[in-house]
Amino acid sequence: MPALSIRDCTFRYTHAADNPFELRVASLTLEPGDQLLLTAGSGTGKSTLLNLIAGLMDPQSGTIEIAGQNIHALRGAARDLFRGRNLGIVFQTFHLLQGFSAIENVMAALLMADKPASEMRPRAMELLTSLGITKPHALVDDLSVGQQQRVAVARALACKPALVLADEPTASLDPTNAAAAMDLLQSLCKQHNAALLCVSHDPAMSQRFPRRMTMEDLGGTGVPPVTLTQGGRP
Amino acid sequence: MTDFTIVLRSLRARAFSTIITILSVAIAVMLILSLLTLRNSGKAAFERGSGDMHLLITAEDSPLVSVLNSVFYANAPRRPVTWTKYQQIAAQAPWAYTVPTAIGDSYRGFPVVATTTDMFTKFVPAADAPWKLSEGAYFAEGDAGNWQAVLGSTVAQTTGLKIGDTIYLAHGYNPRATKPGSPDPAANNEHAHDDHDHDHADHDDYDADHEAESTTAVHVHREFPTKVVGILAPTATPHDRAIFTNLESTWIKHAKDIRARLNPPQDAPATSADLRESERLITGIYTRLVTRPGSDAPANLPQVFDTLRRDGSLTVAQPKQETDTLFGSIIDPINRIFVAIAVVVLITSGIGIMLALYNSMEQRRRQIAVLRVLGASASRIFNLVITECAVIGVAGALLGTAITLLGTRLAAFTIMTRYGVVIEPTLSPIIIIYLIVATILLAILAGLIPAIMAYRTSVARSLRPTA
Repeated sequence: MPALSIRDCTFRYTHAADNPFELRVASLTLEPGDQLLLTAGSGTGKSTLLNLIAGLMDPQSGTIEIAGQNIHALRGAARDLFRGRNLGIVFQTFHLLQGFSAIENVMAALLMADKPASEMRPRAMELLTSLGITKPHALVDDLSVGQQQRVAVARALACKPALVLADEPTASLDPTNAAAAMDLLQSLCKQHNAALLCVSHDPAMSQRFPRRMTMEDLGGTGVPPVTLTQGGRP
Repeated sequence: MTDFTIVLRSLRARAFSTIITILSVAIAVMLILSLLTLRNSGKAAFERGSGDMHLLITAEDSPLVSVLNSVFYANAPRRPVTWTKYQQIAAQAPWAYTVPTAIGDSYRGFPVVATTTDMFTKFVPAADAPWKLSEGAYFAEGDAGNWQAVLGSTVAQTTGLKIGDTIYLAHGYNPRATKPGSPDPAANNEHAHDDHDHDHADHDDYDADHEAESTTAVHVHREFPTKVVGILAPTATPHDRAIFTNLESTWIKHAKDIRARLNPPQDAPATSADLRESERLITGIYTRLVTRPGSDAPANLPQVFDTLRRDGSLTVAQPKQETDTLFGSIIDPINRIFVAIAVVVLITSGIGIMLALYNSMEQRRRQIAVLRVLGASASRIFNLVITECAVIGVAGALLGTAITLLGTRLAAFTIMTRYGVVIEPTLSPIIIIYLIVATILLAILAGLIPAIMAYRTSVARSLRPTA
């Protein structure tokens, strides 16, 4: 069963009638353990695509399946819970919960996904230890940027998701930390057999991913929609 | 980790705002509880003053005024009752006691109550506080008790008088003009009798005589040194502020004044045997009817009350009823205004909760969006925000209640040690529970708008790096 399967998916902003922007994905499949880099500049629709995959936006047509489940067929709390259990997201600015400790940030993911209470602390501690976080009870505000990034990765993988979405995961890091973070993210996804869809406009990233796609033709208004196809450039 | 941990962490992350909001709720709760506590304590104090008497008989203008003047010593009574009338009344019904009182003199702002020893042996000032001497003895019966005084506990505490001390009582009592405990006027006030042009031809001038004295400087009876023979234990009633003497010495004292102003002046009486009928005046009678054991409501009370009221020269009051009237018609509306103000303060603090959360919503949108991405449903987020408000409400209500209970007890202890007045801060646990529940509900209500905002937070928009 593919970790991610998108078919004939189209999206346009209905509240802006004069906006000709349209995102269309004819077909995209990621098997468990697959890793795909989507290179894109600003305003090209990469965030829209990630929001569609995460079920935070609804497409006008087509299907997006995660681990065999059409996420848009689910409604309300069921979709939220499904997202929490099957999707891990790493944000550009980490989006850690301020005022929470490192372990609480990871446990929050398990809590919101309704994982058993007895599993939360051991699972969070295991992940943080494996990522070299030596002070799991320190507030995330007190951690270095590199450590914060690792906590964000641990949180994304806490629920053993089928798919990990990484939105510009290295944009806030210096080259050394960026390389370390990507090593970590890619190796952990492999280790957990989770598919990884990484969106970045960092040219250095392309060396890391044997599979790459671009969205650069997608961004501007008035330009023809671009169809993404599996396995390479459109 | 539970959802409640998320709530607590969220409150901790905004610690300053959270503490200020909780304090504002606590102050509102404190204000309401303090007003209710004081109101209940005030009413209880008023109910204590009349003790176990059933009827108060005076010649005052109204029953309420007679209770205020003869039980709570608000002012000197204006009209006297003759001793003959007292004797008629005493023989008129099956009384358990009839205690005569004559109020009109004072000492350093404290009222002097001339009475008989029945005051101490029969009248009970409060059910839980019968008369008890902390030192000395009551004044003696008849003329043997002349120029002897028994001090209420507050008087002793405030003035520092001790057994054996000599005091000079003053003619006239006006609590508005003389603050209790003010310096002894005998030390520097030689108020000359000649300053007054009194005509004491008949007892109707009891009123004019005391009124004239009470609205101007007091006239000190330096010729009648009075010895302190007893000090009463506190009763937490207005009587703690009174000085008790026998009737005979009061009558002799005033007869001397009256006779000195006659033309030609006449000799002062030496003992009560020398007193004329017109010189034997009292201002009130504390009465209690005989009751069955264990009962406080005599069956013949309405009948005796009606019979006495038919006498146009008398005013008959049921003190407990008058206290209820006073609270119902005057004090309750004022209290309602205070409680209304306190409720407005509580509502204002509710608005404060709403504003605190509303203002924090902008910075919390991202946190809410992250929780949504992690799997929290919109309704779960709504519940988290409402729970935050409830926590603020609970914390504020409990803090306010604790401060009020501690504060009122501390105040009661201070008042008791400094002034000897026993005030028992009383508040029904039911009222406390109602107030806490109301505060929590108000806090939840205040959280509805921020919670709806949280519920409707756009996750995609809130997670944009530029958002």
